[in-house]
Amino acid sequence: MEDFIEELKRKIIDTLELVDVQPEDIPTDGVLIGNELGLGAIDVLELVMMIEKDYGVKIENREVGVQVFRSVRSLAAYVDEHRRGEGR
Amino acid sequence: MKGIRAFVCGAGIVDAAGIGLEKTWEALRSGRSCLRPLSVFPVSHRPALPAGELSGALPPDEAVPRTHVLALLAARETLSATPLLPEAIVLGGTTGGISTTETLIRSGEVRPDHYRYHALGSVATYLARALNCRGPLITVSTACSSGAVAIKIALEMIRRGQARVVLAGGADALSRLTYYGFHSLQLIDPAGARPFDLHRRGLTVAEGAAFLLLAGAEEPPKGAMAELVGAGLSCDAHHPAAPHPEGAGARAAMQKALADAAMTAAEIDYINLHGTGTVDNDRAEARAILDLFEEPPLLSSIKGIFGHSLGAAGAIEAVASVLCIARGFIPPNVGCSVPDPGLGLQPALQGRPGKIGAVLSNSFGFGGNNAALILADPSRRSKALERRRMMQFSVSGMACLTGVGSTEETLKRFHGGEPLGGRPDLGTIRTGLSAGSLRRLRRLPRMVLILADAAQEAAGMAETAGPSGGIYFGTGWGPLTETNDFLEQLFASAEQFTSPTDFIGSVHNAPASKAAIRLMATGPNITATGGEYSFEQALFCAALVAQEGDGPVLVIAADEYHDVLSPRLDPASLAGWGADGGAAFLLNPRAPATGLRLVPAFLSYVPEGEDGIQPLIEALGGPERICRRFGAVFAGIPAGTRTRGEAWIADFLRRTGFPGVIFDYRRTTGEFAGASAIAAALALDVVSSGLLPPHLSGKGETALDGKGVLLLGLGDFVTAIEVVR
Repeated sequence: MEDFIEELKRKIIDTLELVDVQPEDIPTDGVLIGNELGLGAIDVLELVMMIEKDYGVKIENREVGVQVFRSVRSLAAYVDEHRRGEGR
Repeated sequence: MKGIRAFVCGAGIVDAAGIGLEKTWEALRSGRSCLRPLSVFPVSHRPALPAGELSGALPPDEAVPRTHVLALLAARETLSATPLLPEAIVLGGTTGGISTTETLIRSGEVRPDHYRYHALGSVATYLARALNCRGPLITVSTACSSGAVAIKIALEMIRRGQARVVLAGGADALSRLTYYGFHSLQLIDPAGARPFDLHRRGLTVAEGAAFLLLAGAEEPPKGAMAELVGAGLSCDAHHPAAPHPEGAGARAAMQKALADAAMTAAEIDYINLHGTGTVDNDRAEARAILDLFEEPPLLSSIKGIFGHSLGAAGAIEAVASVLCIARGFIPPNVGCSVPDPGLGLQPALQGRPGKIGAVLSNSFGFGGNNAALILADPSRRSKALERRRMMQFSVSGMACLTGVGSTEETLKRFHGGEPLGGRPDLGTIRTGLSAGSLRRLRRLPRMVLILADAAQEAAGMAETAGPSGGIYFGTGWGPLTETNDFLEQLFASAEQFTSPTDFIGSVHNAPASKAAIRLMATGPNITATGGEYSFEQALFCAALVAQEGDGPVLVIAADEYHDVLSPRLDPASLAGWGADGGAAFLLNPRAPATGLRLVPAFLSYVPEGEDGIQPLIEALGGPERICRRFGAVFAGIPAGTRTRGEAWIADFLRRTGFPGVIFDYRRTTGEFAGASAIAAALALDVVSSGLLPPHLSGKGETALDGKGVLLLGLGDFVTAIEVVR
């Protein structure tokens, strides 16, 4: 799981073009949106697209999104669970 | 002098209910939703999401995109029952010919003539040709408030004596860009828009076109359907896509409209809501209304009937409001079955007959661009609008960006007689913008933010004291990188994936709204787009809308060169280095203006075969004044219309006997839509120093002897801006 969290952090940096941000600058358990990285609602939607494209996991409504994007760990857990649920 | 009133003497509409006023009226009366699964182009997911699509076949016109067809249908109906002819056209829109462009891009078409109706501004010129209208044409693009902003501009043209009869409205056809774009924002309600409903989940994209024919008069002319009594504009300066949570900008627009009409909130009988059906819009709008109205009047959103036709919506709802005034009817808020108790407002769930003295019609757009119109029953109203003049501006700061770099570098090279064309390396321009504030911003918004900051600095304004009088932005092509990236990803993924950031960034007004957020500019925020004359249109909008007490205004014009799109959309851009850039001016509205001034003096579309020069000379006060007042003409002759432009400059010289210097500036700046703004910056520098650089006169440095520079645009349009002190 820790490897997957690291992978997601790199994808977050790439997708959102976070200049001068390293994976270790992104908290694993702390809030992801509204922290000092300055990410907002549109960034979340950008990540929703990335998650669907790269992992085939859809996050289609706001209520689920709020839970999933609480932290990188909650995102990783959600993607991991739904990815495995599919087709295996 | 007696005041003036603006009467609605014609109206026309095309929307999801069909073609013509009676189809719209029937849908309003019966409360029939016209939303159904989109079918105008195939979509990748099943079922297709609902849309407000025009039912039935359109009259075949293979030559122009769907937006153009819709616009002409509505315009013809508007003019069908009146002998009046428009002297000016103001059009609002967001997509122009994009629906055709999408198909062309997907098929790999590269020949530019296929893209000639891509530009938003091409809709207005298409109408002008078809309706044989010469005169001012202005195209505004402020996202979903465009149609209402166009009507405000028309009102000011009448009030400020620029035209007596104006055709004003909006047009937008359904496109993949907006359908998939709003889908990527998760803002489309799969059940169809349910404005103000507890379970609302978003909007329904739609298409349409609508116009009002506005005529200025002191008393209601025969057949006047309604009267436009006031309008207000504001900007949230809060977020590129989401509304201000408390509806501060929406409230300001409504309040300004009331002040403009010299009315109190209690005099409004009905509010036609923006009411898109998104969670955030409806909440912000409700809060704004509750804040402004002690006892809110009857209100409803008609987007549950027609959907949200974006740039056309403000005009469609203005026409619907006119029908409701003329025929005495409050339309129902279709789609809402359980009003959201959290909103504290009860929309009219059933339509009902009723006299309406005055309607407030709201339109809010991406970028927090807000507009509110007040339409009234002409027989119940007697107050006139105070006449005003075109606002005069003193220049307090300017900045430019050219192929050679920043303002300082540009002026140095200009004085040395060197070329300025090319593309500025934005990474090397000194700016106070942090990496965070530029994150995910592509070329055009970056240029605009750099220019806005530099003009503020040149004016000696603190970062905290923004242009409170508003921001006026001219762009010929809008954000090309974002548009290209959005469509490229869409087609590369078989229409599965699109970037919400690119979608929000692709709207023409995105750069100006970014500048408003940075400079906390909550005044009017208008983006004008009219090809090579976009800077001129933006400056005209500023002179039409600005008021002396509102504080400084920022006028910016910029365009980007894009390797893929520019050669297709604007082949003339290849003629000069593939250049881009722009300029910005911090202006103080003041009458009479003092010091250095930028005066928009003439703006007219000139159909093929017509004389553009005589009206120009008359507007400038005749040959004698032109020769006395100006020491040089900076002539903008776009490469695409060079033959015509050169004939015109020769005609101008012959008829005026102008003895001064002629500077054919596009040979120096390069060929792009923002070039005239750079020429204005160069002219200001020359007038400020009072000296023409040696390379212009060919006989050493020449004194201007207190004279100014006349900036002309000569092509499809003829334009004039006086640069004087």
